[in-house]
Amino acid sequence: MVRGMTATRWLLAYLAAVVAVTFIHEAWLLAALLAAALAAGGAGRWRIARRAVLAGLTFNLAVSLGYAAMSLWQGRFSAQYLLLVNLRVLLLLYLGFWFVARVNLLEAVRFSPTLGFVVTLAAGQVQAFSRLLRDFRLAFASRNAAAPGLHDRARHAAAQAAHLLDKSVCMAAETALAMRSRGAFDDYAGLPSPACGRGVGGEGGPVWRPRRPGVVTAYKKP
Amino acid sequence: MHIPDGFLSPQTYLPAYAAAGLAWAWAARGLRRTLDEETVPRLAAMTALAYGLGLVMVPIPGGTSGHALGVAMLALLFGVRLAFLAYSLVLALQSLLFGAGGITALAVNALAMGLCGSLAAVAAFRGLRRLDETAAVAVAAWASVVLPGLLVALALGLQPAIAQREDGTPLFFPFGPAVTLPAVLIPHLFIGAGEALLTVLVWRFARARKWCAA
Repeated sequence: MVRGMTATRWLLAYLAAVVAVTFIHEAWLLAALLAAALAAGGAGRWRIARRAVLAGLTFNLAVSLGYAAMSLWQGRFSAQYLLLVNLRVLLLLYLGFWFVARVNLLEAVRFSPTLGFVVTLAAGQVQAFSRLLRDFRLAFASRNAAAPGLHDRARHAAAQAAHLLDKSVCMAAETALAMRSRGAFDDYAGLPSPACGRGVGGEGGPVWRPRRPGVVTAYKKP
Repeated sequence: MHIPDGFLSPQTYLPAYAAAGLAWAWAARGLRRTLDEETVPRLAAMTALAYGLGLVMVPIPGGTSGHALGVAMLALLFGVRLAFLAYSLVLALQSLLFGAGGITALAVNALAMGLCGSLAAVAAFRGLRRLDETAAVAVAAWASVVLPGLLVALALGLQPAIAQREDGTPLFFPFGPAVTLPAVLIPHLFIGAGEALLTVLVWRFARARKWCAA
């Protein structure tokens, strides 16, 4: 890691690099930048490069083949265009995966506590949902000896989606309780000092106050 | 439907980011006022839900499948603002973690799928619910897929006209609207039908549980 570069600065550098790359229209320069990025990529460079190639393969192949067919038919084929667009996409994907591999995304969005909170919670729940849907698919496959029909597949998709909705509402409530128990919310923000209480004024001490009816709960930024 | 990185010109995605910035500020404004122990976890949960719904395969006649967008479902159940913010966050996570979509295309994708998809769904639902609620949900879901498809096709199809060399060679996406409109729209007419079927089934489930609706 470069000295003085925080995760947020890496994020800004990555975004600036992405914008800069889209202003470059010379294939040789993109190739040189890709080579430089690979050279700086460290031990995991080929794993990241492979991931980048696979991530962009389907769309790039479709566009490249479509362009080749159409431009050859029209007599306007340009190999330079194919090289340019494929190198640009590969470089952008490589930079993205390199950034994620080297920098903690959750730390990078720490400049906004709310965004950090939401991304942390969402990333955790995304993993839970991915696992859940994989289990659904495996269960559906194991319970159907023959290929299921359109109606069965629609009902299965609806069951999955309904379960996700149900689970997400439960998870939101569960997360709120977990955050509350860890002191993420301040129920008494903006209220005047209590007239009576136990441990009032002590830093970090237990505070007891009667809940006022109608008081809107405030979210305390960490 | 996601536009990947590298196919949109800066002349397209930079103004799109400006527009998306305003839209994100508008969507977050309402939330910030009530940012409490319910909204923060709910936004996170809806983001995960939008991601999860994107993994649900929607059956298409002919034995193939597409994936659900889930934008209509989110918009009808939780409102346009929350749906737009949650979907934008999903697109950002997908582009950074999986290389699906892209950072340069994020604003266009979010505006097309997250905002316009949600608005189309809610508008169609409100306009048709008096006639027949089930049909209104189905049309809303279909519109939430087809309208973003149209916008994405137009954004891609305009690239050869926006950015090209002096000899006419494209610099970004190479095909014009004559190619992108049918190529994107025709499959999404069927995906929209699958999404409509799925949304109606989930809508009935959600109504049975008395969840809030648009």
